[in-house]
Amino acid sequence: MQLSLEELAGCLDTHPDIVLRWIRQGRIPVKRRQDICVFNPEVLEKWAAVNHVSFTPPEKKTRPLLEEKPSGLARAIEKGGIYYDIPGETVSDVLRSAVERMESVAGRRLKDLLLEKLLDRENMMSTGIGSGAAVPHPRSPVRHEADGQPEEQMAVCFLSSPVDWQAVDNKPVFVLFIIVAPTAREHLHLLSRISYCMRDNAFRDLIAGRPDPEDLFAAVSGYDSRLDAGTA
Amino acid sequence: MAFFSRIKQWLGRIFPQGPAGEDRLLLILFGAVVGICSGLAAVALNTSLHGMESFFGQYRYNWWSFLLPGIGAALSSIFLEKIIREGAGHGVPEVIYSVSRHGGLLRMRSTFSRLVSSSLTIGSGGSAGPEAPVVMSGSAIGANIAKAFSLNERHRIALVGCGSAGAVAGIFNAPIAGLVFTIEVIVGEWTALHIVPVAVASVSGAQISRILQGNQIPFTHLHFDVDVITTVAAAGLAVVTAGACILLTRMMRTSHQLAGKVPVPLWTRAAMGGMAVGIIGLFLPQVLGEGYHVIREMVEGSFGGGFSMVLILMLAKILATSLTLGWGGSGGIFAPCLVIGSFAGLMFHRGVDAVLPGFLSVNEGAFALLGMAGMISGMLQAPLTGIFLIVEVTGGYETILPLILVSVISSTVSHAFEPSSFYFRDLVEKGHYLRPRTDAKVLADLRVSEVLEKDCASVPKNMLLGDFLKVVQQSRRNYFPVIDENTGEFAGMIHLDDIRPYLFDNLLHDTVFLEQIMAADTETVDIDDELSDALDWMDASGAYSMPVVSNRRFVGMVSKATLLDRYRKELMLQTTE
Repeated sequence: MQLSLEELAGCLDTHPDIVLRWIRQGRIPVKRRQDICVFNPEVLEKWAAVNHVSFTPPEKKTRPLLEEKPSGLARAIEKGGIYYDIPGETVSDVLRSAVERMESVAGRRLKDLLLEKLLDRENMMSTGIGSGAAVPHPRSPVRHEADGQPEEQMAVCFLSSPVDWQAVDNKPVFVLFIIVAPTAREHLHLLSRISYCMRDNAFRDLIAGRPDPEDLFAAVSGYDSRLDAGTA
Repeated sequence: MAFFSRIKQWLGRIFPQGPAGEDRLLLILFGAVVGICSGLAAVALNTSLHGMESFFGQYRYNWWSFLLPGIGAALSSIFLEKIIREGAGHGVPEVIYSVSRHGGLLRMRSTFSRLVSSSLTIGSGGSAGPEAPVVMSGSAIGANIAKAFSLNERHRIALVGCGSAGAVAGIFNAPIAGLVFTIEVIVGEWTALHIVPVAVASVSGAQISRILQGNQIPFTHLHFDVDVITTVAAAGLAVVTAGACILLTRMMRTSHQLAGKVPVPLWTRAAMGGMAVGIIGLFLPQVLGEGYHVIREMVEGSFGGGFSMVLILMLAKILATSLTLGWGGSGGIFAPCLVIGSFAGLMFHRGVDAVLPGFLSVNEGAFALLGMAGMISGMLQAPLTGIFLIVEVTGGYETILPLILVSVISSTVSHAFEPSSFYFRDLVEKGHYLRPRTDAKVLADLRVSEVLEKDCASVPKNMLLGDFLKVVQQSRRNYFPVIDENTGEFAGMIHLDDIRPYLFDNLLHDTVFLEQIMAADTETVDIDDELSDALDWMDASGAYSMPVVSNRRFVGMVSKATLLDRYRKELMLQTTE
């Protein structure tokens, strides 16, 4: 097998200068022809095991998780969907009808599990963040042994009539941003983005007018790109 | 070079690689070749030494014969300094230095330079030995064969060892001593990768010398009746030889320092030292040259003179050796040690005999032999080399019990007074004493560039604290290098711990520039510096990382965390076999 020095150093999780020195000193079963490292992967793998050096063959090498950026708010809403005229008089009624309507949480058992977790969270403390909005979310990722877990998403649900949610500003809630995320990191990411949007007067005015999906996507994408570029 | 690489490819097909990709079979073949070459070098040195001795010998009985060692030493110094352009010295420390620091790289000219210079020094009567020069030659032969076949450093070091083993085995007709000396003193690593080819080289070096010179034991002797008294007395002799070792080591050092203060060219200095030896030789001719005939007389028990005569001779030999080697002559310490050791043994036997007549039943030759072992072990602080060398050069296996005792005690006692042996002292002082599998060696192998962390965002020194907070938010590090944005030069460091009090004060966000809160007097390390120096500084100051600055530009950070990670990997790599 042939790899460049940098690629081989990547497989061995070390610095190219170190690999170069190991080759020069004869500590590693690799030969060097100009800038190409020539080696037998089986021999190298055995050597790495004996010497406690981590070795990932190039084809098996996966990109580390940290490099991947969590998707933006617009993507999550696209996934979760936008729903209008959610019926209900109480918090639990509203959440039940909302979860029923959520298309990307498929299956009876997952819907029940999600609802249970959302109600648990509301019982601990209201998720009403003021200005008529609430961000219901489970405290831990929703996962079912047989049905797996739903993808990262945010469902935007406009209620048919405002409901008392015991929000921080005591105003009745007319819109829910339901956050479902497979990891805590993605959850926090979505939460921080929606709270950033809600701090902006323009966004609050837009939401109060129950906008069409196109207008909502356009606004949210605008916030996404500003936050991604770090100019916000 | 294409020729050599084709041979190597061809050999690689015949000798398959081992499971971990090493070429042990190939190394055995190379070891044999290097052993033969260095054995030939040993024979060549022996022959030229004899030629030189008979050439100078014809003038020995003139009144001006005391000039001869001076002329020889001057010629050898001129040859080394002006023609070959190599420093004087014994050769062995140079080989050890090259093994520990440069993967055994030695110059082509070293294959013969010491042979010429040492035969001039010793043949003319200088008090030195031919072993270190031939070790240097053999090692250089091994290194250059490895270079021709572009072998890697580990294999090159093994071949340097092969050269040294073949040389010692050839010149003393002592294959085990060649093997043990090489592993104990030169290579310092008892692993199969080294022992196997070195042993093969020892065998071939000794064999070639036997073919060309006959299978001679250098110092034959009568039969010794070694009893328990001899073994006990050997412990006493060890103290005497250790004393002689310490005296010789310190005399050599003083003499070298003294020579350094004389404001004349190197060759004149060597001539002065040589002439002084010549003057001693006018009165005590036994101290001149390698002195093997003197040893032979002592081991056979036919050496005349009383206790005080032997004492004077021993001191004179120590003086002559330090004058020869300390003032710039070329040669090794082995042969003089053997002579001094046998004087010490003889003196001890005669001393004990004078106080307690008849106490020592064994012939005084046995003590000359034991004295040699004590002296070699003490001087080299390599007891195994002492034991095996003396057994082989005398064929005196019946003395093995007191021999072991005298060797280990002598090397222990002299170690107590001179912590680093004669070969290692200069290397230790310069920080070049890097034995395999030690902390110093692992640390010396790692370079600053290999542990450099480049994922540090640098910030301009005119940045506002408020803007800096956004950088902090995006970063995963606690250290931030500050750069002068006009020149691009490194200005200082900001450590989050140091500025924590200001971070949450909104008033400061728009009024404080980074220049005002950075640490401007941070210690930095250059990319070419030794990692051990950087580590020493971090230890002294309690820091966990420090900036690397090259040509006044920031290039990255070194931290103890990354260093530990790399160090551990390197340590495991260098210590598993």
